[in-house]
Amino acid sequence: MSTPGAEAEEPERYEVTLCWRDGRETSLLVARDETVVDAAERVGLSLPYGCLYGACGTCTGKLLDGTLEHRAEPRALKERHREAGYVLLCLAVPRSVCRVEVGATVQADLVPNPWK
Amino acid sequence: MSDAETPGGHTHEHDPDHEHGVAGPGYTTPAAMRTESGREKTAFVMGIRVGMDVDAPDFVGVVDVDPDSPTYAELIGTVEMPNKGDELHHFGWNACSSSCHAEGMTRDHLIVPGQRSSRIHILDASEPRELSIERVIEPEEVFEHDLSAPHTVHCVPEGKIIVSMLGNREGELPGGFLQLDQEDFSIDGHWEADLGEMEMNYDYWYQPRHNVMVSSEWAAPKTYYPGFDLDDVEAGKYGDSIHIWNWETREHEETLTFGEEGLIPLEVRMMHNPEETQGYVGAALSSNVIRFYEEDGEWDWEVVIDLESREHPDWDMPVPPLITDLLVSLDDQYLFFSNWLHGDVRMYDVSDSANPRLVDRIWAGGNFGDRQEVAGHDIHGAPQMLQLSRDGKRLYWTTSLYSSWDNQFYPEIGEHGSLMLKADVFPDEGRMELDEEFVVDFGDAPGGPARAHEIRWPGGDCTSDVWQ
Repeated sequence: MSTPGAEAEEPERYEVTLCWRDGRETSLLVARDETVVDAAERVGLSLPYGCLYGACGTCTGKLLDGTLEHRAEPRALKERHREAGYVLLCLAVPRSVCRVEVGATVQADLVPNPWK
Repeated sequence: MSDAETPGGHTHEHDPDHEHGVAGPGYTTPAAMRTESGREKTAFVMGIRVGMDVDAPDFVGVVDVDPDSPTYAELIGTVEMPNKGDELHHFGWNACSSSCHAEGMTRDHLIVPGQRSSRIHILDASEPRELSIERVIEPEEVFEHDLSAPHTVHCVPEGKIIVSMLGNREGELPGGFLQLDQEDFSIDGHWEADLGEMEMNYDYWYQPRHNVMVSSEWAAPKTYYPGFDLDDVEAGKYGDSIHIWNWETREHEETLTFGEEGLIPLEVRMMHNPEETQGYVGAALSSNVIRFYEEDGEWDWEVVIDLESREHPDWDMPVPPLITDLLVSLDDQYLFFSNWLHGDVRMYDVSDSANPRLVDRIWAGGNFGDRQEVAGHDIHGAPQMLQLSRDGKRLYWTTSLYSSWDNQFYPEIGEHGSLMLKADVFPDEGRMELDEEFVVDFGDAPGGPARAHEIRWPGGDCTSDVWQ
């Protein structure tokens, strides 16, 4: 059954391309009110995550292109990380078509070995 | 089947020291546990996938440590958690020797928290080789009490279980202590009546006979979760104190502040003898072992082991050993600890507790160890979580610390997993020897590589049991 105006009620979706460091790329549609981690889980893609509320940084990705917004404070990221484009994918919702670097090794960029 | 493998761990009916006929889950004395419990035959070992590109949850692994078994030194079973991303870390028993006089209690459930998820799993361990998940406390139930990041689990005498919690519901300070009911594993609420000056939490130990609990400090979850940053140390975001609590009134009584000498005080181990009012805490970053003690009603502390940083040819700054775990043998004679950045595990004679004497050490892996492989397996990481057999003759350890810190200091663990290793200890001679035959490679875990972390024995161990 179609209702007048139903199309307008469809949630806005954006194509988000996940780029792994080994060269693998996958695109998926993520709704405006859906986090990248939730969207990935929904389609059976594995992204790293931990606390799911922005404290732990396990889900850190790096925004290569486009706009993602955090829907709560990304406590695990310091100012310098946010400025460099790091995002927490458990809190990040899309506001445009995006490309994001993902995978467990992105998180390790945040804090290098201080003695080395 | 030895006593150690039976659900109750031990029955007092056969114990000549325990004549009042009240059955309980533990041992009357540390000596009884050391001498009567029998050799460990299985080990429970945490297997973690967080921070790896392995599409699988964490698990509690069962390792066969019975040399007469055809599957000796193998991971013979894994119980995967229902969710991904938990970061299983430390775990504990529903009952230990402090419940010795609790009639009807059995040591048959493991309390397995997720450090990152704040999810708490209750496992039925009545058959050590057939572990199963009985109940899961979801994170939201924990957050309701404004707590997160569960760490150390101990059973306590009044029919309760306490879990140290490192953060509030946002992953910020101060945390506190969550109390569970020993019967149905429901959440009672906070254990503490008053946090006092406690602003950070980590590990804790208690001596009920002296009405005292001692807790240590790591940092806020949001600080240590993403990795170790020296800027955070300079900003005072890491701990440097321990806290003395009144065990009965549950009030914070006193803070012992170590300053530079005691940065990041992690594991707290008091002597097993319930008469003692002293113990040790390993200050990871300062790489000191600090003895704390009560004398004439006053608590005090002193650095009893002070380790030096070391120059690494490829690194810019001298590298601290980073003492990440320590334990005391059940006879209170030996202290063992691990230096995770250097790569050695050390054995000290602490029969003169204020003057520990280094008797032996083993290098295995790490940034300075000569030996980087055992039985054909590359050692990823370095000695880390320790567990000693109850008779004090076998020391086992794993080589992973914490997913984000592993990825920072030993990134190869993230790809290949870590190991469980073993040394034979000769307490009478005061020495130990790496067992060249014993390797459990968590890189070969079913479902993909994993990080091996804390180890426990069915029947109890010297890092879980406290005596009344």
